Amino acid sequence: MSSAHSKLYSDDVSLVVIVVDTNPFFWAAAALPFADFFANLVHFVNSLLLLNHLNRVVVIAAGVSSCSYIFDSSDASAAGGVGVTATFDKASRKVEEFIAQDARATAGNGSVVSGNAASLLSGALSLALCYIQRIFRSGTRHPQPRILCLQGSPDGPEQYVAVMNSIFSAQRSMVPIDSCIVGTQDSAFLQQASYITGGVYLKPQELNGLFQYLAVVFATDLHSRTFLRLPKTLGVDFRASCFCHKKTIDMGYVCSVCLSIFCKNQKKCSTCGSEFSRVMPDLNSMPDQSK
Amino acid sequence: MGSLTIGAKYKTTLKDPGTPGILRMNDDKFTFTPNDPRSAMKLNVEFRSIKGHKFNKVDGNKPALLNLSKDSDKGGGYMFEFDNVGNRDLCRDFVARVLGKHQGMPPRPTMPPEISVPSAGMEQLSAAEVERRVKLLREDSELQKLHKKFVLGNILQESEFWATRKNLLDDVANKASKQKPGFKTAMSDVRPSADGRTNKVTFNLTPEMIHQIFAEKPAVRRAFLDFVPKKMTDLEFWRKYCRAEYLLRTKNTAAAAAEAAEDEELAVFLKNDDILVKEAKLKIKQVDPTLDMEADAGDDYIHLPDHGILRDGSKETVDNDSEFARRTLSQELNRHAAVVLEGIASDVELTDAKSVAEALARSKKEPPSTSAVDDTSHERLLKVARMTEIEDLQAPRSLPYAPLCIKDPREYFDSQQANALRSLGASNDGRKSRNCSLSIEEAFHHLTDQISSIKVNKSNCTVIQSDMAVKVLNELNEGISRSRRLNLKNPQEGLLGRVPQHTRDELMDHWTAIQELLRHFWSSYPITSTVLYNKVQRVKDAMTQIYQKLQAIKESAQPDVRHEISRLVKPMTQALDAAFSHDLEQQQKSAKAGNKSNGF
Amino acid sequence: MPQVLVVARNFMDMVAALPASKLDMLYDSAFICEAVLRSLPPLAKKYALQMLYVLAPVAAAAMEEWVLDEYASKHRVAIDKLLQLRVFVEVRDRRKEVSYKMNQKFQGNMQKYLVDGGSLPREPIPLSVTGRLPASADLEAYALDQWECFLLQLINSSQVEKGTSFSSSMMKTFQRGLLSSRDGEAPKLTENGFQFLLMETNAQLWYIMREYISSAEERGVDPTELISFLLELSFHKLGAAYSLNTLTDVERIAIRDLAELGLVKLQQGRKDSWFIPTQLATNLSASLSDSSSSKEGFVVLETNFRMYAYSTSKLHCEILRLFSRVEYQLPNLIVGAITKESIYGAFENGITAEQIISFLRQNAHPRVVDKIPVVPENVTDQIRLWETDRNRVEMIPSHLYEDFPSKEWFEQCCDHARDHGYLLWEDSKRMRLIVRGEFHPEMREFLRRQR
Repeated sequence: MSSAHSKLYSDDVSLVVIVVDTNPFFWAAAALPFADFFANLVHFVNSLLLLNHLNRVVVIAAGVSSCSYIFDSSDASAAGGVGVTATFDKASRKVEEFIAQDARATAGNGSVVSGNAASLLSGALSLALCYIQRIFRSGTRHPQPRILCLQGSPDGPEQYVAVMNSIFSAQRSMVPIDSCIVGTQDSAFLQQASYITGGVYLKPQELNGLFQYLAVVFATDLHSRTFLRLPKTLGVDFRASCFCHKKTIDMGYVCSVCLSIFCKNQKKCSTCGSEFSRVMPDLNSMPDQSK
Repeated sequence: MGSLTIGAKYKTTLKDPGTPGILRMNDDKFTFTPNDPRSAMKLNVEFRSIKGHKFNKVDGNKPALLNLSKDSDKGGGYMFEFDNVGNRDLCRDFVARVLGKHQGMPPRPTMPPEISVPSAGMEQLSAAEVERRVKLLREDSELQKLHKKFVLGNILQESEFWATRKNLLDDVANKASKQKPGFKTAMSDVRPSADGRTNKVTFNLTPEMIHQIFAEKPAVRRAFLDFVPKKMTDLEFWRKYCRAEYLLRTKNTAAAAAEAAEDEELAVFLKNDDILVKEAKLKIKQVDPTLDMEADAGDDYIHLPDHGILRDGSKETVDNDSEFARRTLSQELNRHAAVVLEGIASDVELTDAKSVAEALARSKKEPPSTSAVDDTSHERLLKVARMTEIEDLQAPRSLPYAPLCIKDPREYFDSQQANALRSLGASNDGRKSRNCSLSIEEAFHHLTDQISSIKVNKSNCTVIQSDMAVKVLNELNEGISRSRRLNLKNPQEGLLGRVPQHTRDELMDHWTAIQELLRHFWSSYPITSTVLYNKVQRVKDAMTQIYQKLQAIKESAQPDVRHEISRLVKPMTQALDAAFSHDLEQQQKSAKAGNKSNGF
Repeated sequence: MPQVLVVARNFMDMVAALPASKLDMLYDSAFICEAVLRSLPPLAKKYALQMLYVLAPVAAAAMEEWVLDEYASKHRVAIDKLLQLRVFVEVRDRRKEVSYKMNQKFQGNMQKYLVDGGSLPREPIPLSVTGRLPASADLEAYALDQWECFLLQLINSSQVEKGTSFSSSMMKTFQRGLLSSRDGEAPKLTENGFQFLLMETNAQLWYIMREYISSAEERGVDPTELISFLLELSFHKLGAAYSLNTLTDVERIAIRDLAELGLVKLQQGRKDSWFIPTQLATNLSASLSDSSSSKEGFVVLETNFRMYAYSTSKLHCEILRLFSRVEYQLPNLIVGAITKESIYGAFENGITAEQIISFLRQNAHPRVVDKIPVVPENVTDQIRLWETDRNRVEMIPSHLYEDFPSKEWFEQCCDHARDHGYLLWEDSKRMRLIVRGEFHPEMREFLRRQR
């Protein structure tokens, strides 16, 4: 491990990729107004940049139909936190642009049902991981990366496969995914993400104190985490979504070849094309005990 | 199980011709009575003292052997030779069964895993197989528990139990090394020894040395195969070889030339090994083409005065003019190293020079000479392309990766239960979402408004009031100190903590048992044979029992944890219910379809 | 490791050693707060961050609970640092329970930082006034040039063609501790001096800065002002021009000295003069934390102990000479070898094997930096072995006792010495024993009592 990480800074230098949920349906009904939330976010980003001059922060917005980078601290001038103010003006402008674009995309999409659409978590996670891979592959030394998801809207079961793939690739490249839930519901996706990648999952009790949660728990760098006790999740929802109807299920059928999950008995695996019917005329694969 | 009586020879060592006699075996012991009553080789051994058994692979005219070892570490044991393989295998299977039973028997408490090889089982297990299973059971206590419960409880058959765990067995099997001893790395030098008195020089060749000579000098091997039965005897051949060696060693080039002229057979040994030369040429073609070997040839210092290698007290020189070009020490070293690395081809026994030579000749088939000229040049080009590394085109150097792994299944169990418990007391944390349904436009409009309000009042200086910060900090501190107080590694246990430990363990055991049973249950559908039918019945009975036990646990639980326990038990009973209802459905179906349904 | 190596962090100790009132005064500047925060160990940073909006004191016990038991020392170090630098203030309530409160000035400055993300200490002069400014590569070259020139002068005043304008008394101050000069002899590098040369540039810089500041009082300058100016300087934008008119008198004098060291470049315009901070200056506060700057190295060391250093610098050559045999020198390449003699020479001068190895590692050529290990293992092992070679014999002053009148007495003496752990050797046949020197009086007393 140590040899493989010779390119990492030894200390607490971090790269934090923050995935921000900009789901309009959620924010329209949220207890915490988006404006306040954004102020919290700005403070948090600034405090990360304050901690170490080599720290880098990237913010990615996850909308209903699209996602995009809205802030990258390395775009700001290299020396210290100088010019961050201007950058944040730019960032808020970028958020605005992004939301307008997302609105257009959503309106054109048509498939989004009003009032109940999930944000594109899978896309945002993929963007984050791509960014991190780019950092890994460039330059001689790089900061220790981690991802923080600030999610409010409920999970979109239709993203199950994509999200799980992102989670596993994060685990494989040793990038912890922290999750802070600003919505009302626990997110099974993020619970699993944090559990599998060794990140922190937290659902703050007091949303008005959001910054304090962020500063106390999520600002902690990976170096310090080795000797700190951080809040732990009680019980992770390990339920999976079926591949056929994207429903979250307790019990289902698993393809014995590719491990795809189905809620109903299928004649043929839609993922890998294995035919079940030939081998066994009736109820063929074993039900998964919904681990 | 009965007993077995068979004729066999008892051997003390491998080389021992053996004492013929009668071998009798029963469940507890085996006895050996020699045919010759005067012989002292009588045996009466209890199986209890036998730890394992080995047998050899029989091919050709080799004897069939069975070795019953007393202690695998020390290697002591009893070796029997049988008239034919059939007898030996009979005996071997008997021993395997008896040993399997003995090792499963409780009288010796040092052997924890209980394993019984089903006497009525259709499969014949090799001893190695049994050993592997015993080992797996010994290493995995959970597996052992399951095995005890189901196999010894006669719910599953031994073979059924292991059928789902083939991969475990294969893993163990693959790990066993199949390494064979190779050639010695030390060069065995055929050295003459001269006694001082007469003018005679003696060479001493062992079968091992002959094997090595054949491997290192293909020309000698070829000559042996050509000459030996027809032109000369074995002894003559080696005498000639040694003579040639002697001439080469003494560097008596003139004498060598003279003798070669007289004796064409001898000349074979004195000439350069043409097979090796051919091989070397092929090898050079395979060398990295970017390497300029001709440039290196100029670096040869060997021919310069004061350079060279001392061998046998005198300096080695290269006499290029001589027809009998000398093999230099470095060449010999290289050749020897190559042979050692190639290793010994399988099935070569060091018994007789003839068979060794033949086996080697077979394994060293001439490389196909069909490679046309354009083909080789093409290959060469390919190789050039492969060897020249263009930095830009190389794949990125690999990044650190963590291997993906499935975590402890137990964790999943705990966490699932904890989850079920938590949803019980699902705390309504004052965050209620205003449940208004907005159209897409309205929602986006709202968000845009929010953003413009950010821009307007940028200077909302404090995001958090001190008292709120303190409150949050206290809340987090409380959570941390709670987990610290409990000193838990596993946060789930905090929730399960109220359930008594033994109940928790019991439930966990049931859970693993249910999983095993369900796996067997579902995998026996569709039922196509009576065996499967019987199996399903057995499994179903066992499941019913567990079901009842679960109910009992639920009912006997203390009132304060009863609800929690029922939540814990729920997924298990659900899974069982699914199986039962499926069974019922099938029965109804087959009843409807009459007898012809599944053909039994 | 000898004390010089930790000098960079020691700088903050110097800040911490300032009287409380002066320290509080320093915290008026947001830059100093920022620099101080960044110099803290990671755990201390976390504590500071979580207290940022908390006005009430927080119990020490509550903080400690977050730390895993086996890392309690980390917690103590972090808290100590915070208290020393007066970022945290200890409060004891009536029940004598300790809790901490954050320094209000510090807190206020940091809160401000979070809102606006930090600002510049002073506005740069617009390009229209200054005209073209030096490119960053030129600036870097200039800085390194100045710095090397200074270092060369420091170790060997005679070798330098163009000296810096430091007064000889200033130079003496810097050389204090690094050079020792006996009367009539040319000054020689001390152990510290050799180690100083092997240090990283930033560490060297901090060492010099420390000397500079500590000697400030002799020159009648307030060290606090200098510290504040230095830390502030590091937050200036690299390569931008700043007017000298915005500086106080003290600062204006200091900036000339700093220009000599290569921290800033001074330029004279038509009516205005300005200074341009170089990399050395902007890295100052950054180097206070552990993560060091990434400078390109130049040394390639092969498994056959040959060393190729791609450098034009005379200073590099001098440094390499400290522990290797330099064989020939080309315009941009120094070729040498690590030999037993050269390494022994280094040991004689008080350089340790670890220092040599870490120097080779830090200055490895980019081509070999990706290799693992950077320095061939056989070479590092050999250097370490050579070092342990020198320590084969340990000298212990001791006393030999012999001619005991009886076996019994001898045994008693042996037991007595052994019980106290001072027995080194005994030979019961000839009744002799050796005892550590410091135990001799006790032993004599014991023998007398026996008599």
